[in-house]
Amino acid sequence: MTPMNYKEKSLNFLDYRLVGLVGSIILIVSEFLTWLSEFSLFDIYIFYTITRVEQSFIFLFPLISGIICLIASLLIISNLEYKINSVIITSIGLGFLTLFLVDFIPGELFYLSKAGIGFYLCIAGFVILILHIILILISKE
Amino acid sequence: MSTGTIYHHLDSLSQLIEQGKNKKYYLTDFGVHAYNSLKENIEVMESSKFSKGDYNSPLLKFLFALTPIKFIAFEEKDKKYNAVISFAILIIGTILCGLNGFYSLLLFFIKTSEDIYKLTLISHVVLSVIFIVNFLLYFLLVELFCRLFYRKKGNTFNFFLSFPIILYPMVIYLFIHFILLSTGLIRITYINFLDTVLLIFFQILSLWLLTYNLKVSKDLKIERGLIIALLLHYGSFTVVLLLSI
Repeated sequence: MTPMNYKEKSLNFLDYRLVGLVGSIILIVSEFLTWLSEFSLFDIYIFYTITRVEQSFIFLFPLISGIICLIASLLIISNLEYKINSVIITSIGLGFLTLFLVDFIPGELFYLSKAGIGFYLCIAGFVILILHIILILISKE
Repeated sequence: MSTGTIYHHLDSLSQLIEQGKNKKYYLTDFGVHAYNSLKENIEVMESSKFSKGDYNSPLLKFLFALTPIKFIAFEEKDKKYNAVISFAILIIGTILCGLNGFYSLLLFFIKTSEDIYKLTLISHVVLSVIFIVNFLLYFLLVELFCRLFYRKKGNTFNFFLSFPIILYPMVIYLFIHFILLSTGLIRITYINFLDTVLLIFFQILSLWLLTYNLKVSKDLKIERGLIIALLLHYGSFTVVLLLSI
């Protein structure tokens, strides 16, 4: 492989489709990292399910969102022809996240200053995925 | 190419080109008009393009099956009929939004802080009026974005007439939510989860309908329509979040 070919291959490898992959993995990982009081969202879900608190399922939404967005990212990585499909599936995934954030942030507002890395990663994942959608839609391929 | 063939093609284009005194060929007025028309409408021609993969996908086929194309791309003779349907969707949405006790912001619904079963009649009416205001705001924002980003000024009235059609999924959601609320089923965890999933599904369907409407009414490419729809959607999410705080 000539140096030029190698450079072209590297540039192709680092394309915008990987942004979605990174965003969705960050979102999935954030579910298992510390959010509030050393607890992860998954811990809170388990705790609330055992104590039969209503709407405990909402704490799984970042995980569900991450998995759906991961599927959408893999879809566009496998075939560039599925641009619109990928955007719609990512929007479905982000729909879960938006409803979770609308429910979670106002309720825990006073504790957010002490929020753990999980919360910040979740927000970062959300922003990255929105960027991913915009990049797909403005790409010329 | 032989001279005969060239003259044959020049003869076919006789309405569009003419020979000047210097023996060179120039566009006639009609030719210039045809050229400008092609140039201006290149996006329209491109907007109908879907990639083969996208077009044949089950997801888009499913969304197309739920798209009332007849009411979005309506003909001139069906204008009155379309206006009645759009008005009916708005009225039903207005009533249901008031009954459910929701503040609406674009495609988001925020529950009132008060107990829904203890809301006064005036509160219900105010929430209903907010739904109408929200509809007008949504239309104006989409129109503004079209004009600002893509310079699409035309067809505003027809776009306005078909705009309530994009809210039909939200009206169905409001109806289902009202049934669950009035029967008390909403208190069951799994039903509540189903209600949330339905809201997401109907939001996405409405976003798709808006995109399709922009394609039909404003001649925007699907990608551009999606950019406007999603920008407004996530913009309104930010506002909802700030209001909730």
